[in-house]
Amino acid sequence: MSQPSKFIRNFCIIAHIDHGKSTIADRIMELTGQVSARDMEDQLLDSMDLERERGITIKLTPVRMYYTAKDGNEYEFNLIDTPGHVDFTYEVSRSLAACEGALLVVDATQGIEAQTLANVYLALENDLEIIPVINKIDLASADVEGTKKEIEEVIGLDASYAPCVSAKEGTNIEDILEKIVEHIPAPQGDTEAPLKALIFDSYYDNYKGVILFVRIKDGSVRVGDVIKTFRSDKQFEVTEVGAFNPKLLPKDLLNAGEVGYIAASIKSIQDVAVGDTVTNALEPASEPLPGYKKVQSVVFCGIYPLDGSKFNDLKDALLKLQLNDASLIFEPDTSVALGFGFRCGFLGLLHMEIIQERIEREFNLDIITTAPSVSYLVHKTDGQELFVDNPSHLPEPADIEWMEEPIVKAEIYSPPDYIGSIMDLCQEKRGVFKDMTYLDKKRVKLLYTLPLNEIIYDFFDQIKSRTRGYASFDYELIGYERSELVKLDILLNGDVCDALSMIVHKDRAYPRGRELAENLKDAIPRQLFEIPIQAAVGGKIIARETVKAVRKDVLAKCYGGDITRKKKLLEKQKEGKKRMRSIGSVEVPSEVFMSILKTNK
Amino acid sequence: MAGIYIHVPFCKSKCRYCDFTSYPQKIGFADAYMACVLKEMKLRSAELKGKKFDTVYFGGGTPSVIDSKWIVGCMNQIRACFELADGAEVTIELNPGTIDQQKVDAYKHCAINRFSIGLQSAIDSQLEDLGRIHAAKDFRIACDLLGDANKSADIMIGLKDQSVSDIKKSIEFASDCGVRHISMYALTPEDGTPIYTDYLNGELPDADAVAEMYQAACKFLKEKGFLRYEVSNFAKSGAQSRHNLNYWRRGEYIGFGVSASSFIFGRRFTNTHDLDDYMKCILSNHYPVVDDALIDPQDARFEKVMLALRTEEGLSLREYKQEFGTDFASDFLEPLKKNAKYLELTNSRIKIKDEFLYVQNTILIDFLQ
Repeated sequence: MSQPSKFIRNFCIIAHIDHGKSTIADRIMELTGQVSARDMEDQLLDSMDLERERGITIKLTPVRMYYTAKDGNEYEFNLIDTPGHVDFTYEVSRSLAACEGALLVVDATQGIEAQTLANVYLALENDLEIIPVINKIDLASADVEGTKKEIEEVIGLDASYAPCVSAKEGTNIEDILEKIVEHIPAPQGDTEAPLKALIFDSYYDNYKGVILFVRIKDGSVRVGDVIKTFRSDKQFEVTEVGAFNPKLLPKDLLNAGEVGYIAASIKSIQDVAVGDTVTNALEPASEPLPGYKKVQSVVFCGIYPLDGSKFNDLKDALLKLQLNDASLIFEPDTSVALGFGFRCGFLGLLHMEIIQERIEREFNLDIITTAPSVSYLVHKTDGQELFVDNPSHLPEPADIEWMEEPIVKAEIYSPPDYIGSIMDLCQEKRGVFKDMTYLDKKRVKLLYTLPLNEIIYDFFDQIKSRTRGYASFDYELIGYERSELVKLDILLNGDVCDALSMIVHKDRAYPRGRELAENLKDAIPRQLFEIPIQAAVGGKIIARETVKAVRKDVLAKCYGGDITRKKKLLEKQKEGKKRMRSIGSVEVPSEVFMSILKTNK
Repeated sequence: MAGIYIHVPFCKSKCRYCDFTSYPQKIGFADAYMACVLKEMKLRSAELKGKKFDTVYFGGGTPSVIDSKWIVGCMNQIRACFELADGAEVTIELNPGTIDQQKVDAYKHCAINRFSIGLQSAIDSQLEDLGRIHAAKDFRIACDLLGDANKSADIMIGLKDQSVSDIKKSIEFASDCGVRHISMYALTPEDGTPIYTDYLNGELPDADAVAEMYQAACKFLKEKGFLRYEVSNFAKSGAQSRHNLNYWRRGEYIGFGVSASSFIFGRRFTNTHDLDDYMKCILSNHYPVVDDALIDPQDARFEKVMLALRTEEGLSLREYKQEFGTDFASDFLEPLKKNAKYLELTNSRIKIKDEFLYVQNTILIDFLQ
């Protein structure tokens, strides 16, 4: 047995949004000469447009660097970036499995945030060595000692050696590199053993086929090798291996301990799954690596093409997105109102938004998205049990014995000033208070259990606005509880629109119905006839609004016979109409199905 | 049927709602400009040889602000360059306070037989809000000067603080002054005009209120003997504007002057909207055309429908078939089905039902294919 190189360090960075993760990554790359300062665009790792715009990392982007340490040796660093948002814990667990260590970046002005903690615990579970890094020491409000104390108290890590840096100004970055060399262990494994490589990500390249992002645990892989995965019998000949710089950089081989990519003309994206193990087809390993925890979708919604004939394009887009986002699940679905589309499952609301935006931007498809739902457990009178995440699939009330809804444990961290308004909000959202602890004078942790279906609407926005952005919030699913739930239907011009139905708590049906009807009234443009909008529960109307008929839309004076101009005005209006969908005789703008989520407060 | 349009882009001052091509500051250019218009007619004369014109229309701006010799000159030039039918309808737009006996005599002498007068409102405070330079009494003076000639009045609805009874008063006033034709347009606050700020500040009545005014005014006009023959045009028996009817019947017309539009030989084109540009082109013997397009058969069909459905007479199915060789019902099957309840068919003419004429855009959009 021979060990992988002692001079490899594989690590990731854990940080809360805005605590400076991407800036630190950029600084490290700059210092290792990976990117010349001149070529450097700010925040190199966040490469999706969407990520740059929102200032967040969603996808993992690995990069390899070389660093000559003070001990005189040159080290190979593989940095695997991680997403920071609560929805993407799954993605984080994927990066963690490819690393031996993690940098925990904490903002010296804000301290540790709830969701950072969750990822720290994940890293500890994966036996990663964690190096705390205190960032933003250049700011006047930085509290370095307080932050160190918090790290020691809250997480139980020794923070005495933590590098104190300012990524913005480039101060002390080298200290981080030295600490990586000192504290993060070199990878273990056997370079002579049969190939075992963990796929931690992948994407589709039009020329090279599927590109697998791998961490080689045992053995090695080179061009010309024949490989297979454990879950499929298909064999592929390797056409290229290499590292990330952060673009693809071809190499002769990848050895145990290394992070890199494999291309093998894999055409079908269904043939390889993230989390699977790659091995040599001629000399296979006996068993796969542990892989990942299977993720559970928490939020569901319908996605339909605006133009019904684009169903197959939408399917292609979803398949391609699924390739590097295994947490996205979908299956074909039909709606009376919207036709053929897909029912999709997501890790959370942000994940859902991201996928929607990626479909529209990267695949140039116009889509209609229905309101998000959670998965309910329905106990039928005939003894059957089933999960329902699509309100239009809910059995008739007479066939339902009782229902259960998913419940989450929510941890809310906030300065003490806002406790009152947070409690009000949780109360409104049917929350049950569990505990409150003062972490220090400035921070309180509130513990609530809440129905998930109350959180998926606007809980996050509300908590941010009621605490002026100071509070942070994390949640995990803890199980199901019996609940009095009803189906709220919306009737447009007398007909039920299935795409607008939702499942709500009995006590919330009336206010929710009112709110929905009011929102729809504002969102649906006036048409040639009056449109009643009704909210109904079990056939009983509980709210009604009316979109009045349009009474004047004639074009102004047609001066000097300028008919071309008139025609152009009509054409422009026609263009606007293309963003509408006919539901019965009513034309409804595609945004309506999502915008109804907004509350009027 | 074919018409001639002459654009006179000069005014005494610009009204607060106006976004037409007009130059209140440049009246000193009038002589040079009108000389160019005469020359433009000359330039077009060869290609329009053999076309017979039935109507002439002087629009603006305010054609009555310039020296009447130019109007007379235009009429002479038209006769010299083109074939003008006997009994042609010749209209000039004018504003109260811009004419005198000498001008009226000159107009009548050169066979102008229809006068379209910008009244807008019989309420002086409303005229002031619009930035009009005349008072209501000036309209009566103008009508008296014109005598029993065929007169039309423009009236606006949707004005600040305007009530239905104000509109009725304006209609009554125009009728009393001997007007036999009324054009009634809703004020459209265009971005960039001073009145747009009134709109932004919520000082103008909303679309529902305007619709209310329109319906009430239509009813009152009918009582007074003015029958609607197009969505914004009302006339006593025999007093319809033939020039405007020609637009809606998709007849040919040739426009002269800055920003004038034309539709002839299957093409639609528009002259430059810039006065200097216009004159430079003409002086160097170029057509001042900026937009020029041959209308393809499908566009032509839509235009026919769009224009005809503005009118009370509607679209003649027989005429449609004669013009395009296809059946209207099969060309527009889907939109017809969808809008069946807003349309009516009588004597093989199809029209928008009276109560939906004021919401015709929504209907017309469906016919755009």
